[in-house]
Amino acid sequence: MSSRTTAIQTQGLTKRFGDFVAVDNLDLEVEVGTVVSLLGPNGAGKTTSVRMLATLLRPDGGRATVAGHDVVSEAARVRELISLTGQFAALDKHLTARENLVLMARLRGRGHRDARKIADELTERFDIEAFKDRLVKQLSGGEKRRVDLAAGLIDRPHVLVLDEPTTGLDPRSRQVVWSTIRELVLDGVTLLLTTQYLEEADALSDRVVLIDHGREVAAGTPAQLKAQVGQQRVDVIAADGAAFEQLLSLLDGRFDASPLPEQRTISVAAPGETADLARVAEAVEASGISVDEIALRRPTLDDAFLALTGHPAESAEEDEREREEVAA
Amino acid sequence: MTAIAATPPAIQPIRPRPLRFGRDTALLTWRSLRAIPRVPERLLDVTIQPIVFILLFLYVFGSAIHVHGISYKDYMFPGIIGQSLAFGIIGAGVATSNDMTEGVIDRFRSMPISRLSIISAQVTGQFCEQVLGMVIVVGLGLALGWNPDLTPAHGVELAGLMILAMFAFTWCGVLLGMLVRSPDAMQGVGFIVIFPLAFLAGTFVPIAGMDAVPRAIAQWDPISALVASVRYLTEGVNAGGSWPLAHPEIAMALWSLLLLAICVPLALRRFNRTLAA
Repeated sequence: MSSRTTAIQTQGLTKRFGDFVAVDNLDLEVEVGTVVSLLGPNGAGKTTSVRMLATLLRPDGGRATVAGHDVVSEAARVRELISLTGQFAALDKHLTARENLVLMARLRGRGHRDARKIADELTERFDIEAFKDRLVKQLSGGEKRRVDLAAGLIDRPHVLVLDEPTTGLDPRSRQVVWSTIRELVLDGVTLLLTTQYLEEADALSDRVVLIDHGREVAAGTPAQLKAQVGQQRVDVIAADGAAFEQLLSLLDGRFDASPLPEQRTISVAAPGETADLARVAEAVEASGISVDEIALRRPTLDDAFLALTGHPAESAEEDEREREEVAA
Repeated sequence: MTAIAATPPAIQPIRPRPLRFGRDTALLTWRSLRAIPRVPERLLDVTIQPIVFILLFLYVFGSAIHVHGISYKDYMFPGIIGQSLAFGIIGAGVATSNDMTEGVIDRFRSMPISRLSIISAQVTGQFCEQVLGMVIVVGLGLALGWNPDLTPAHGVELAGLMILAMFAFTWCGVLLGMLVRSPDAMQGVGFIVIFPLAFLAGTFVPIAGMDAVPRAIAQWDPISALVASVRYLTEGVNAGGSWPLAHPEIAMALWSLLLLAICVPLALRRFNRTLAA
């Protein structure tokens, strides 16, 4: 693959913290102009991987390049090409949103006037105007994340890396961040995204790499992964034990239904998604059986792990960052 | 593993930045100083603490302490100055410990800036805070009737010595701040190590009258040399008792240079290790 079209490439990338192997022989490739998601539970090695790419951690094995430049031997060059926005807001909390943007632009070599112009453009583009003169420590999580994203885009980096951009955000802020990311993607930004949410990887990326215990367990387009994971299902929760038995006999013949007696739930395969939801709901309604809930359920990261690795996703006991600090 | 790195055509030229280090340091120092008016409590340990000690010793304990040949007010203020400088180590350490765990440091480290500027800005910012604190303490002393007897030559010498000492103490604090696990741990180190040294240093009572063991420690305590040199330059009093106390200015300069020779390389090494982890 020519380096002109490869934004990020890793071969056998490995990082250990003591005995713990955080990233284990990871091969990753992100082409220019595409969005790739690293999907995995807490402690899967996502943050460690992107920190190596951003030259914040030195790999113990293998190599990684950004636009063909080695992250170790050409670290200074890599820092000009990559921009990492981490899980924790990388902003000065005692400066205002705008002062942060001006400072970052100036540190990237812009003059005073130029830096202010960039900050003003970014505050407008990321809808920061309303709180641009408030101190970062007074902003909400979603507001901070927007400023953080804006700071990452000064000078239009060759590769943008977003580490769990929506973790810890409320659903509304998550939507705002998603739409911001979608705009960036339309703009042609090359993006490597880490996330714990299958939904997020599905909504935003061209390619998804599922990682677990520092290793790749599956990779493909969201559609390919979802095909492997299985379709959506309609879960019908019975009001009581008797209703559960009635439901089972009602649905078993007509749909592809699996009983989950412990949860008094009948799970029905729904390849037709909402159409199937409507059909199941009608059948239940017509039968008069009492139910607590009928819901269309998307496959979750847990379903994906179960389907692709044979075991449920387990969060590592410790956060990766904590391990890293202990090791340092 | 680097041998196979093929170098593709550059995507954008690296900007020539001959003055990048100085510029980045200035920008990052501005960042630290900007926080002072917004988090005034950061200045507490360089302002409130000396004020409390001044009031306590001037108006409460002072009447019971008699130093031969000098008013207690004039005896005590050089001690307060030395103590404030020493407490600056704690202040710089706590601030560094706080700052280095901030997410923003990661952003700086992943940006195309001079990495050395991150630590040089930390030192410069802390140094400015120390100077500001010292201006407040000296101003308060003069307002409360301290009457230093300072010739112009001694004034220049005193300013030079204090700047050198503050610079050394700041580096020492920045190093400690990077070594400890938390700002609280830094407070602990300050209380166990720096606090006693600052009190032993002939700060409030003459070293000559101390018991044998504390006297021996005090005679070689770097802060004693600092207090003694301020006292000598402002009041013309020279206590003697050990080589550093008989030659306080030379001793203070040597102590500062020694501290710098130890702390600067260790701080840089520690910082680089954190980078390379």
